[in-house]
Amino acid sequence: MSRIVVSDLTKVYGDLDVIDPLTLDIASGSFVSLIGPSGCGKTTLMRVIAGLEPASGGKVTVDGAQPADARSHKRVAMVPQQPGLLPWRTVKGNARLLLDVNRRVNPADAADPVELLREVGLGQFLAAFPHELSGGMQQRVALVRALALNAPLLVMDEPFASLDEISRAEMRGLLNHLVEGKGVTVLFITHSIAEAVALSDRVLVSSPRPSRIIADITIDLPRPRAADVEDDPRFVALCADVRHSLHGGMR
Amino acid sequence: MTRRIIAPLVGITVFLGLWEMLVRAFDVRKFILRPPSVAVRHLWNFRGDFASAAWITIQHAGFGLALALSISLVVGAAMASSPFLEHAVQPVLTLVQVAPWFAYVTSIVLWLGAGNPPAVFLVTLVCTPAFVFATVDGMRSVEPATLELLHSVDATRWEVMRRLRLPAAAPTLFTTARFSIGLALAAAYYVEGANFSNEGIGAIGRRAATQPSGSDALWAAVFAMAILGVTGLLVLSIIQRTALHWHAAQRSQPG
Repeated sequence: MSRIVVSDLTKVYGDLDVIDPLTLDIASGSFVSLIGPSGCGKTTLMRVIAGLEPASGGKVTVDGAQPADARSHKRVAMVPQQPGLLPWRTVKGNARLLLDVNRRVNPADAADPVELLREVGLGQFLAAFPHELSGGMQQRVALVRALALNAPLLVMDEPFASLDEISRAEMRGLLNHLVEGKGVTVLFITHSIAEAVALSDRVLVSSPRPSRIIADITIDLPRPRAADVEDDPRFVALCADVRHSLHGGMR
Repeated sequence: MTRRIIAPLVGITVFLGLWEMLVRAFDVRKFILRPPSVAVRHLWNFRGDFASAAWITIQHAGFGLALALSISLVVGAAMASSPFLEHAVQPVLTLVQVAPWFAYVTSIVLWLGAGNPPAVFLVTLVCTPAFVFATVDGMRSVEPATLELLHSVDATRWEVMRRLRLPAAAPTLFTTARFSIGLALAAAYYVEGANFSNEGIGAIGRRAATQPSGSDALWAAVFAMAILGVTGLLVLSIIQRTALHWHAAQRSQPG
């Protein structure tokens, strides 16, 4: 489990303010979505927390450690927007990729990628190559690749953005199934209000650039989340809350 | 599959047939052009000599290509990771690439002496620039998101090179190799002709070109080089199809 503490974080690129002083506390084992308009700095915030980008000011800790330190010890697993599978590796090889590099810091309790692939319904495709898979299947491999690290922090940057609605709904269910009750802290970036509400314990709404949190909405829907959670009137109300906050921040 | 075998055979047969017919119909003078049948007959009659000469030429071109590729992987990898180095080395390689290498063949032979060294050296020299450019382009073609994914687990430079950049460069390297086979054979032939060791198909070609009755041997040497080139391309195609089976260009094309 990983607690993320962000204190007065700022990020600038030249003259461009991307993140205003931002303070945030994400509890261990919680699923937090960050939603906001395009170009507001969501991905930059994720990259700073994942240790891929230094902060311009303020402080970020992941379980009390510097993000870069957490990253170098494979305590952060990332799922990018595009699956980013290597076309010359099989499904099994791609699922193993993050375990195959920087092996000396592999966690002792790393998951078995083959077991995970079976769990996400790709057991028949272990020897297949990425071009033989649909977009949804490729994204499942990307998810397995990250989960195989068994890292306490999972950061996901609009991972389902390129999928059709049916595949997105499937992936939501799958993600809930894979992380629920496992104690993994998830930071999930999305443009989809329904996705954020269906998956999260908290939804953070960002303002347009420079990014600051303009709403912090607790999602108190029961867990485990049922497949028909989106029919729940409470779900609809929460979506409306998020939408109003998002539109309010853009005025 | 049938189309892949039949179509090239039809193309070559029609080309050789037209050549044969035109040379005979217009009674082209011997020292200008010989019909393919004469060249092939000469090649067959002296097959032992041509086979041992071809083996020498294959070694010159093969070692030169292998050296060029090895040098290119090291230089290209360094250039791909250092824009300064890239800007410093690129003009030098362009200079080597565009300079007429046949103009300084004699200097190389005088410098390195007779035998294999000048042939292997020249093949390496003329093939290296294209391989370096292909390496840099291929290694730079990796998706930034995939690169970041490896950085997210603190992959070392070597791991990024081995697991990501090198395989990504393979398609452009194979494409370059297809062009370089012809260049390597031409360079090997030319140096063998300018050499004093009388080895290789180039030496047969040079001797034939200086003899009044050597046109049959000269055109047989041309055919021998063409056979080497086509065989080299076929072998490369087989390796490419096996090694790059995952690449879009190697999958079956519709239509």
